[in-house]
Amino acid sequence: MHKIILAGENSILIYFGDKIDASLPEIIGNFAYQLKNELSDVIIDLIPSYTSLHVSYDLNTISYQDFCSRVEKCLAKDVSASTTFTPQTIHIPVYYGFEVGLDLERLLAEKELDLDAFIDIHSSQDYLVHAIGFSPVFAFLGEVDKRIQTPRLATPRIKIPAGSVGIAESQTAVYPTESSGGWNIIGRTLIDLSLNNPDNINKFSVGDRVKFYPITKDEFVNSGGTL
Amino acid sequence: MSFIVIKSSFLSTIQDYGRLAHGKHGMSQSGVMDEHAYSWANHLLSNRFNDAVIEITFGGTQLEVLIDTFIAVTGADLEFKVNGKPALMWHGLQVSKGDLLSWDNPKSGVRAYLAVKGGFDTEVLFDSRSVNLRENIGTKLTPGDQLSCQFFEEETYRFIPPKYIPNYNQAIILRLLPSYQFNEFSANQRDLFFNQDYTITNANDRTGCRLSGAPIAMKKERMVSEGISYGGVEISTDGLPIILLKDAPSIGGYPKIGTVFSLDLAKLAQRQPNTQIRFELMNIHQAQKERRKFNEFFKISY
Repeated sequence: MHKIILAGENSILIYFGDKIDASLPEIIGNFAYQLKNELSDVIIDLIPSYTSLHVSYDLNTISYQDFCSRVEKCLAKDVSASTTFTPQTIHIPVYYGFEVGLDLERLLAEKELDLDAFIDIHSSQDYLVHAIGFSPVFAFLGEVDKRIQTPRLATPRIKIPAGSVGIAESQTAVYPTESSGGWNIIGRTLIDLSLNNPDNINKFSVGDRVKFYPITKDEFVNSGGTL
Repeated sequence: MSFIVIKSSFLSTIQDYGRLAHGKHGMSQSGVMDEHAYSWANHLLSNRFNDAVIEITFGGTQLEVLIDTFIAVTGADLEFKVNGKPALMWHGLQVSKGDLLSWDNPKSGVRAYLAVKGGFDTEVLFDSRSVNLRENIGTKLTPGDQLSCQFFEEETYRFIPPKYIPNYNQAIILRLLPSYQFNEFSANQRDLFFNQDYTITNANDRTGCRLSGAPIAMKKERMVSEGISYGGVEISTDGLPIILLKDAPSIGGYPKIGTVFSLDLAKLAQRQPNTQIRFELMNIHQAQKERRKFNEFFKISY
């Protein structure tokens, strides 16, 4: 069911599966929560991602072997039975327009969809937070409907505006700050996900759900959006 | 205020022991690149192990001292001077209001550390004072910046036995823990990895150090992204290693052949591009033993 491997002098990696699976984020989220409670005396950080949990610990107080055996004991318990981690649903308003969706026009042509159909496909489902990384508050959300899946751009853009919503293969995400990146940009949100608001570090947790909802150009502009 | 920045031409930033508990939020570890020189700088002044210092990369930096205090400069020889005269490194130093501290060009090593008695008192962001430019956390030092430091009571100094002052021109071997996908590389590919001299390229910064050499092959080029440890050695699509350093992203999707031991990364932090390096296997027990000894000496508590 799981496998523990060495990751560094004070870290291990626990695998819960070998491919992306919608059931894993909750299992991993739950286990991370439990581990943090039970081994709080020695754990430094826990990084959940897709199929794995990266755990760093204080090597001053516990050896690699002892740490692994404490983790094994925790893993042996039935985590699913405990109501440890409560996923949230985060709602994100998106203006899906050609002015801000830099790749939207191309995608509509490639996928042979009209704008309404595209918006409906992207915004009608819940997405699961599979991982957080690349940069702070960047949540990898899956799984995008096959009809609008698209590979990353061959050449990443140097500058993507903050709030841009993108698609890469089966994943979708919001860029929290202006950055470079190769995702296909389909719209923009006005929600500030940057660290200018320090509380944003807790905006998403692995296992949470995200729901996008479309707003009109007027709503976007009236809320302070620039085209 | 206790210091004012007069000149900062390349990259000087405030760093401390790092932002160790925010990987779950997608943040880099951040912190000093050379933990050895950093730890000595604080130790010489009897500071706390995680006090903030200035990490000066390549030189081109001048600071004016605004109070009477004590400093220690360790790490790279960047022609450190006080009022234009060469000054002692790896040593507690009394400085006075009006003194000018300067670092010009690298003579040996890459990164120098300036510690002040009590530590620099900049804003704590997500449990650390470390600046991370990639994540827009803090900014690099620019002329006109004023820095304050924390209050201190005792004037205690320590000395460093000369044998602990490193020679940054010496060849280095990076000891590698067989972590991550080590076992998924074939024996032939691992032999190739351990039996060649790699060269540090210009693509070498706080995020990672890209090496050039003979490429090695891996069955799968990309994998599901997973949490990254400091020192993880990614094999990128071209078959060449990238050693992931303090400002590296918290997760990544390239296969990793192992993880370099932290105290060897401290040595790497002082090597210029074109330096040749080799890898050698290390086991986890040896790594933990050496690191524990280091932590114990410098009273590093995690």
